[in-house]
Amino acid sequence: MTAAHPLRDRAAIAGIGATEFSKNSGVSTLALALRAVSTALGDAGLAIGDVDGVACHRVGDSVPAVLVAHSLGIQDLRFHYDLFGGGSASAGVLAGAAMAVATGQADCVVCWRAINARSEWRMGGTGRAAPDTPEYQYLVPYGHVTPPQHFAMFARAYMDAYGVGAEDLGRIAIQQRTNAALSPRAMMRTPLTMEDYLASRWIVEPFRLFDCCLETDAAVALVVTSAERARDLAQVPVLISGATYGSGHTWYSNHRADWTTTAAAAMSKRLYAMAGLGPGDVDVAELYDAFTPLVLLQLEDYGFCAKGEAAALVAGGTTALGGRLPVNTHGGHLSEGYVHGLNHAIEAVSQLRWAAGDRQVPGAEVALSTGQPGYVAGSSSAVILRRAS
Amino acid sequence: MRPVPTPDRDSRPWWEAMARHELLVQRCGVCARLRWPPRALCGACGSFEWSWEPASGRATVASWIVNHHSFGDAIPSPYVVVTGRLAEQDDILVPGGYAGPPDGAGLVIGAPLSAGYEDLEADDGRVWSLLRWQPLTP
Repeated sequence: MTAAHPLRDRAAIAGIGATEFSKNSGVSTLALALRAVSTALGDAGLAIGDVDGVACHRVGDSVPAVLVAHSLGIQDLRFHYDLFGGGSASAGVLAGAAMAVATGQADCVVCWRAINARSEWRMGGTGRAAPDTPEYQYLVPYGHVTPPQHFAMFARAYMDAYGVGAEDLGRIAIQQRTNAALSPRAMMRTPLTMEDYLASRWIVEPFRLFDCCLETDAAVALVVTSAERARDLAQVPVLISGATYGSGHTWYSNHRADWTTTAAAAMSKRLYAMAGLGPGDVDVAELYDAFTPLVLLQLEDYGFCAKGEAAALVAGGTTALGGRLPVNTHGGHLSEGYVHGLNHAIEAVSQLRWAAGDRQVPGAEVALSTGQPGYVAGSSSAVILRRAS
Repeated sequence: MRPVPTPDRDSRPWWEAMARHELLVQRCGVCARLRWPPRALCGACGSFEWSWEPASGRATVASWIVNHHSFGDAIPSPYVVVTGRLAEQDDILVPGGYAGPPDGAGLVIGAPLSAGYEDLEADDGRVWSLLRWQPLTP
């Protein structure tokens, strides 16, 4: 018997908060961050004076972590963590906060993602500078600039290798729309049929409109403190049982000739080992879904089925509410809204608190919440969360 | 206006070779592994010794996309972007334009390609050459 990982169950999520999800917040990303953080602290039964650490991720599209700390009035900031990255970094923010709390660097870390992803800094290009990586010089001249284009290129290789077709992707979009109808926060709640899906316009083949996530103005926040302290606070503590960082495929990663398996395949082994759990223990999975095929890839690479079997798993109802492994119970980025991975984390916490209303997975004890599994960014991250007994 | 390349200090000689319609890769001076895009260090063995080497221009289709949405209006839709897998080494994956039909008709993964070039004049009069993959009929 090997010793438990030193990070396992040491930190807990004690509070969650979210702003309205909209197409135009009308306020700054600083204001969004402050609103979500304030809500999360209230949810935890904590005050700003309890906070001594801040953590966020961004891609040149939001305010710096320390500016939020200063705006909160924190005088003696003990931990600050400002990850460059989109969805790939999202769970990594929680991992950083958990490490800070577990090592005594901080007692209480607020984590957030705040973006005006529709009204100000669209990922598709409007209003933003070229990403801060030299690799884009080899893409931009070909009109190959935006995430749907980049992910479509990777997705086709996967779809071709495993015979995944349009209806396989459509089932993901439809299932998540069904879930979103049960979420008061969700932006897209009109039911979607396969006919609607197949009739939707091409964005970039093999992606139709409904294969692509929303662009949303919103912030969400989570309060991370020690498992011990969380027991005395307002909510049922949600333990961070596992939290890992992983690699990924950049466009040109030499040594990564195969695009059809994500970096999550290697990372998930470490994640499960850290948590002392396996795929069979997961009751609900919130899988990063900027585009529909990422759900299939992660079902395979997080060990819920063998390679090439995810489409059949979804078609068989396993991932629907009421199935063995409900996935993206809030509607995900496709239908709830796009807060770059962290709205998945607050949904996971709601599920483990048994506070997810009509979309509650009965008795959920263990949740997986993932970041983008590594394409383009070259990095990935994920957490396994567990309801404290 | 179409965006032109923005070379950095690692890639400038590579883009200069492209302007002569030469597709270069780097070869490690110690382990002989090829790499692209240009980087100072061999990720396989850690050596800083390397030299430029012309690639054959032979490749296969690793993947492709057909753009329908107007992404910034730089290129009229529909248009295709192809990632070519170089014949020399299977982990060298190079995106480029496509000389075949703009709707991608006939493309399949694994189909043979050869490197072609498209010259593009920037606002300042400088001419850049971009990769334009050409379908090869087997």
